[in-house]
Amino acid sequence: MVSLAPGRIERRARFRLVWRYRELFRGLVIRNLKVKYQRSMLGFVWTLVNPLLTVTILVVVFSHVVRIQVPHYWAFLLSGYFVWNFMLQTLNTGTWIFAEHSRLTRSVAFPSEILVFSAAGSRLIEFAAEISLILAALILLHHHGVPSSYVLVPVLIVLQIVLAIGLALPIATLSVFYHDVYHALPIALASLFYLSPVFYPASMVPESVRTLYFLNPVAGLLTLYQEVVYAGQWPSATLLAVTATQAAAVYAFGYAIFHRYAAVFAEVV
Amino acid sequence: MELRGVSKRFYFYEHRTSSLREWFIRRVLRRPIHVRHAAFSLRNLDLRVERGEALALLGHNGSGKSTVLRLVAGIYQPSAGTITSSGRITAVIELGAGFHPELTGAENIRLYGAVLGLSRRELLERYDEIVEFAEMQDFLDTPLKYYSSGMEARLAFSVAVCLQPAILLLDEVLAVGDQEFRARCLERLRTFHARGGTLMLVSHELDQIRELCTRGVWLREGEVVMDGAIDTVLAAYRAEPR
Repeated sequence: MVSLAPGRIERRARFRLVWRYRELFRGLVIRNLKVKYQRSMLGFVWTLVNPLLTVTILVVVFSHVVRIQVPHYWAFLLSGYFVWNFMLQTLNTGTWIFAEHSRLTRSVAFPSEILVFSAAGSRLIEFAAEISLILAALILLHHHGVPSSYVLVPVLIVLQIVLAIGLALPIATLSVFYHDVYHALPIALASLFYLSPVFYPASMVPESVRTLYFLNPVAGLLTLYQEVVYAGQWPSATLLAVTATQAAAVYAFGYAIFHRYAAVFAEVV
Repeated sequence: MELRGVSKRFYFYEHRTSSLREWFIRRVLRRPIHVRHAAFSLRNLDLRVERGEALALLGHNGSGKSTVLRLVAGIYQPSAGTITSSGRITAVIELGAGFHPELTGAENIRLYGAVLGLSRRELLERYDEIVEFAEMQDFLDTPLKYYSSGMEARLAFSVAVCLQPAILLLDEVLAVGDQEFRARCLERLRTFHARGGTLMLVSHELDQIRELCTRGVWLREGEVVMDGAIDTVLAAYRAEPR
């Protein structure tokens, strides 16, 4: 027995609905990957080439021109850049994902967060391949062994996905109503790139503003990756706890925004 | 399935996609930012559909027929009133929503099945039946973009009619494929109805409606004009001067 009345669907009911549509999630993840890679001979290589090229340029600039004092700078950069790239792409997806699936949203009663989840899901599969290659490269060329801290990588991936979806959901929701998001987001992300420890370590940030600096959850996430993957050390428990709390808070906030407006998407997109 | 006192209001936001600059100017000039027009699509609608009924919604464009289907399907939320229903509802509002041109026929069948809410096991059980009904065995591995529009519609329709939901909602999707395929579709829907499925459809092909449905509901500007046996309602609807 289903009953529909004005007002939002309860969160628990919404969660059950998402679970009922898990086959659609799977189908969309597979579709995203298939469509991206079919009829492309080099396939996944292209996904790697672009960020690797950027990494190469950054390595050249920041170890020979600007000279950031980090030993094995290439390893440092690799440990964070692909995580940044994941965030960047997932958040950008948010600006067009509902518009692209407007026919679906207008004609089928499915929980539309599935679209955001599946976009992040297919990106995550690519990221899993990327990070495996990076871990392998650092084991061979940097650590000459397997640091025990690597067991934390799956935990960091969970934080990363929660944070990415938590940011992508409100971005996607806003883009349904305001096309400005589409123009504003690249600017915001370009600023965030410099305000996050992608090409420099957070330890270079002056002590006096570091608390403020770490209000940006991406800063915590990247620092964790750099400690675990690049330094091969166990990160500080405080940083891990703070970042996990931030990710959870961002998700709760982002989902709340999405949830408030999701019911009218079918009428607006 | 029952709709009790259901209303649906749509808002048209004149400045829904306005720019930030315009927003700013309007703020400064203290002009309204959102000009909201409300339009009723449905007004206080009561409709009770028993299990196993085959009901047709009649009315001119904009009379609220599709809105009723979308509300029952749960795509729209009612502005007032309640809608209760029991059993799985499959709504085919747009044929093949979710189809992707780069995917093959087989892949699209699976994706569309998932879109319509099938689990993986249910899909496996029905897959052969769907392919057989569509008569698409030879094109399963061809990307959808090479299909003719008729073939695409046939594939989508086959998925939809092979689902066996408790309630099937169809919005002007019966006019697909060639004569032979249409005849089979109608046959299929009759069987669905004969087995106790509830059918609710919107169509402008009045002869098809007469063949399939037992009850007609005529809507005008979101209100019920007439509700009764299909022949009576159809006769009155046809007699109505446009």
